[in-house]
Amino acid sequence: MSVDIHAPYKERVDTALHDKHLRIALDRATSRMKTQRADAMAAIDGERLRTQVRKMKSYVLRNLPDLLETLESNLTANGAHVHWAADGEEADRIILDIARQANVQKAVKAKSMTSEEIHLNGVLQQAGIKVVETDLGEYIIQLADEPPSHIIAPVIHKRIEDISQVFQRELDMPPTMDPSAMTGAARQILRREFLSADLGISGCNFAIAETGTICIVTNEGNGRMVSSMPRVYIAVMGIEKLVPTVEDAFLQYQALCRSATGQQCSVYLSMTSGPRRADHPDGPEEFHVVLMDNGRLNMLARGYGEALMCVRCGACLNACPVYREIGGHAYGSTYSGPIGAVISPLLNTDVTDADKLPHASSLCGACRDACPVKIDLPRLLLNERADQVAEGDTAWFDRQAIRAFADTMKSPGRYAAAASFARTGSNLLAGMSGGNITFMPPPFSAWTQSRDFPPFAKKSFRRQWRERQERRKRIGNEGQRSKIED
Amino acid sequence: MTTRETILNRLRSELRRPDLPFPLGNTPPLTSDERMTVTAASGTLWELAERFGAELTALHGTYEIVGTPTEARLALINRLLTWREEERAAYRGPKPQTGQEDQVLGWADEALPVPGIADALADLGIEVIAPAALYSSEERDAVRFIRYGVTGVQAAFAGTGSMLMVAGPKTSRAASLLPLRHIALIPFSRLYPAIEDWLAAERNAGTLTSVLRANANVTLITGPSKSADIEMNLTLGVHGPKFVHAILFEDDVER
Amino acid sequence: MTAKKTFPNPPRRVALFVTCMVDMLYPEVGMATVELLEKQGIEVVFPEAQTCCGQPAFNAGFRDEARVLARRFVDIFEPLVISGQVDAVVAPSGSCVTMVTHFYDVLFESESAVEYRYRAANLAAATFELTEFLVDVLGVTDVKSRFDGKLTYHASCHLLRELGVDRQPRALLENVAGAELVPLDGADECCGFGGLFAIKNGPISTAMGERKAANIIKSGADVATLCDVSCMTHINGLLSRQQQRCRVVHIAQVLNNQVDVADSPGTSRADVAAPEPSRRWQDAREEK
Ligand code: SF4
Repeated sequence: MSVDIHAPYKERVDTALHDKHLRIALDRATSRMKTQRADAMAAIDGERLRTQVRKMKSYVLRNLPDLLETLESNLTANGAHVHWAADGEEADRIILDIARQANVQKAVKAKSMTSEEIHLNGVLQQAGIKVVETDLGEYIIQLADEPPSHIIAPVIHKRIEDISQVFQRELDMPPTMDPSAMTGAARQILRREFLSADLGISGCNFAIAETGTICIVTNEGNGRMVSSMPRVYIAVMGIEKLVPTVEDAFLQYQALCRSATGQQCSVYLSMTSGPRRADHPDGPEEFHVVLMDNGRLNMLARGYGEALMCVRCGACLNACPVYREIGGHAYGSTYSGPIGAVISPLLNTDVTDADKLPHASSLCGACRDACPVKIDLPRLLLNERADQVAEGDTAWFDRQAIRAFADTMKSPGRYAAAASFARTGSNLLAGMSGGNITFMPPPFSAWTQSRDFPPFAKKSFRRQWRERQERRKRIGNEGQRSKIED
Repeated sequence: MTTRETILNRLRSELRRPDLPFPLGNTPPLTSDERMTVTAASGTLWELAERFGAELTALHGTYEIVGTPTEARLALINRLLTWREEERAAYRGPKPQTGQEDQVLGWADEALPVPGIADALADLGIEVIAPAALYSSEERDAVRFIRYGVTGVQAAFAGTGSMLMVAGPKTSRAASLLPLRHIALIPFSRLYPAIEDWLAAERNAGTLTSVLRANANVTLITGPSKSADIEMNLTLGVHGPKFVHAILFEDDVER
Repeated sequence: MTAKKTFPNPPRRVALFVTCMVDMLYPEVGMATVELLEKQGIEVVFPEAQTCCGQPAFNAGFRDEARVLARRFVDIFEPLVISGQVDAVVAPSGSCVTMVTHFYDVLFESESAVEYRYRAANLAAATFELTEFLVDVLGVTDVKSRFDGKLTYHASCHLLRELGVDRQPRALLENVAGAELVPLDGADECCGFGGLFAIKNGPISTAMGERKAANIIKSGADVATLCDVSCMTHINGLLSRQQQRCRVVHIAQVLNNQVDVADSPGTSRADVAAPEPSRRWQDAREEK
C-alpha cells in the first residue's frame, strides 16, 4: 500500500496517513536525524556557520553568470567537457548522446536528485542502457521500483522488514533481519557492476568555480566509484550549485554534513577536476559536466531566488512536522518536505497537484531554523500562496470566504453582526451536541471530523469590557484601576 | 543562440532587474578573515595525533601512534599479519582461492612515506601491487580480490579524523577504495589541526588551486565506508573499506 | 524588523489588542489579560474599533484583503502610540503580534506609498505579546499567582520562532505558587493548527495535533498552557473529542488565578457558575 506519486494530492496524503508502517519508519528516522543535526550544530558555533554559508551563497547567486563562466573555462582547461541544458529533456538528450558515442552498455549511478528530477534512468533504459543505482538506499528502491522519498535517506519510508522482503524477492536472498548481511550482499553485486560499467553518473553537491571541480559527498563510497572506475564519467548539476573558492567548498561541505546527518565530515568527499591524467593508474578517460536550468532561472525571475541557495541537506524535511506525518512520496515530486513544497511548483517538472504543495505547511518555521542557509521557507510558501491568489489560481470557495471575512473585519458594525450571527449559529450547533460543537457543515466539517470547536462566547470581550466600564463609572471608581469587582 | 548563451544572458538580465527581491544588490564575498574553522583542534603534534585517533575511533576506525618511520613499518606489518590471522580464524569451511590472498594493493613504494615497505613485506611472502593501469577488465581482475590496501596521505586533519588523498601516477585511487581493509601511513609532518589550516597553508604557498586542478581527483576520507540507509542501522563497508587503520608516526620532515 | 521600543520611564498605559478570536470565543482570556496588566499598575485602554489584524487572509495568500485590514489596524493603533496616549500595544497572542511586527512589513513592501510601511514599523516597535511585555518591559516574573497541580508549557510556533519568546512565559510559570512545571515532549513542535491549513489539510493537521495531544497527556500535566488561543482551540478540540481529562488554557488565565484543577477549568471564576460534575470541562465555558 505504498503511495503512488502520480495520484491526486488528497489521495497521496490519505494513503500516507493510513500507512502505519510508513509512519513508524518516518517517525524513527526523522527524529533521529533531527537530534543528530541539533547536536552537531550545538557542538560548534552553528549560528555563525549558518550566517557564513548564507552570505557565501548569496554572493554566488548575485554573481552566478560570472561564476558559471569561470567554472566552465576552468573545467574545460582541466580537460572536461561542459554542456548546457535548458531543461530536463535537453539534459537527457545530451547524456544519451554521450553514452551512445562512448558505446555504453551499462551505467552506474550515485544518488542524484537532479537526475531523478529529469527522469534520466527511464530515458537511458529505453535506449537499451542498463542503469544501476549504487547508493544502498537507491539500490533498494530501484529493486522495489519506487522513487526516493527523502533527499538524503531515499528509503526512509521502508522498515527493515520491508527491505528484507525486497532482497528476498529480487535477489533470492535468504530471509534475514541483519542489515550488515543485506549490505554485504549489495556490496558484492554492486562491486561487479562498478568494475564492469562503462559509464558513471552522479549529481554534484557543489562545484568549485576557481578550480573547475565537481564535488560529491557520500558515505558509502559509491560517489568515488562512479567517478573513478568507469571509462566515462558524467556529472549533472543545477546551475545554482556553485561555490566560488576551495575554502567556500569546505565551508559548505561541513555545514552540509552537520545538517544532513550530524556528521562532522561525510566519509567521502570526492573532488573531480578533470579526466585522469595520462600517467594515472585509474580514473575516467572522459569527464562531462552538464549544467542544467530546468526552471531554476524561472525561480530567480519570479522572486524565489532564495530557494536557489539550497544545499539539499534535507534538514528541513527532518524538522518538518508535516513531512513527519506524510513522508516524501505524498508530495508527489522528486523534492519533498518544505523545500520541495517551495520549488516543485516552480521547477520544470510534472508534479500532480503541484499547486497544493505551498499549502501543505502550517508555517511553523521549524524548517527555517534547521536550514544551514537560513532559507526563509515559510516566507517563500506565503509568497507562493499570494502569487496563486494574484494569478487567480485559487479555489472559488477560498476567494469568497476570505473576501467575506475581510469585509466583515473591515467594519465594526458588520463585525458585531457577524459575531452575533456566529454566536447564534454556534449555540445552535453546540446545543445539538451538548456544549462543544462537534459538527459543522462543509468546508468546516474538515475541522469537526476530528476535532471539537468551542461555541462562541455568550458575551464577547468587547461587550464585557463596555459593561465593566459602565459599572466603574457608576460606582465612580475610575481612579481605582487595580480594583476588580466581584 | 545556444542554450549556454540563453541561460547566461537571461541570468544577467534578471540579475540587473532593480525590483528583483533576491539576491540583494550588496552581497560581498565571504573573506578569509571571517571564514570560521568549523571543527577546530589544537595542541602539540602528539596531541593532534591523539585527537585524530580519537575522532577516527569514534567513526569505528582504529589507529596507533609510533615514534619513528621504522616503528611505523613494523606496525604496518603487524597490522597486516594480525588481520590475516583474524580472517583465517574467522573463516569456516573450504576457502575459495583467488590467488590474491597474499597481495596488498598499495601506492608505489616511493610514494609511501615510509621507506622499504615492499621489501619488508616481500620477506614475509606478501606482494605489494601498485598497478600502473587499471583500465581493462583484465587489469582490474588482477586486483579485484585483494583485501588489503596501503597508502600514505596528502594531509590529515586531527579535528575530524580525515585524510586527504590526491590521485597521481604513483598514488592510485583504488588502493584506498577497493580493498576491504585500508591502512594509511600518516607522518606528523602531514598532520594539521583542521582542514582550514591546510587550506590556509596551501593558499599562502600559492598551491591550493593547483593541488586540485593538476591531479584530476582529490578525495577526503573520514573513517570507514558506511550507510544508515536500512532503517538508520549503521553498517560498515558498503562500497569502500570496512576497516580503516591509521598509523601516525613522528618524522623529521620539515613542513 | 525594527528594534523594539525601549522604555526610559516605566510604561503606564497600554492599548489592548485583544484579537478577534479572544473577543468572540474566549473573552475570559481578554479579561485575564486586562486584570494581569492592571495588577502591575498599568492602565489598559481598549480601542473599540479594532477587529482583526488580517493574519488569516495573509496566510492564505490574500494580500490585498489582508492589506485593507492591516491599514485599518495601523490607523487605529499607531496614532495612540505616536501621540503618546499609550506606551505600548499588548496582545495575548504570539501569532497576532507576529503579524503586526513581522508581516506588516511584507504587506506594505509593495505599497507605492511608503507611509504605511513606516507607520507599521513604528507600531511594530511598540507592540508586545503579553508575557514578553510582562517580563521584558515590566521586568516582572512573579505575578503572585497560584495553581495547585501540574503545569506544562507548549511553545507556539510564531511566538517561539518569529518573536523568539520562550524564556518569558516559562519564567512566569516557574513562579506560580503550588505548581509543578513538568516537561513536555516535543514542546516546540507545531500543534498542526496553521490557520486555513487546519481545514485545507485537515487530516495532516489532525495527525499533528494528535501527536501534540498525546504528548500533553503523557506529560502528566493537569493543565497545559500556551500563549495563543488558536493552538489552544486546536489542541482542546482534539482533547475534548477524545474525552481527555487534561486541557489547555491560556497562560493569562493561569497567571490570573482563573484556573483550578478541581474547579471548572478554563473558566473565569468571577462570572461563571460551577459546572455540573458530569459535564466535560469545555462545556462549562462562558456560562453566566
Ligand atoms: S532548504 Fe535548507 S534545510 Fe532544506 S534542504 Fe535546502 S539547505 Fe537543507
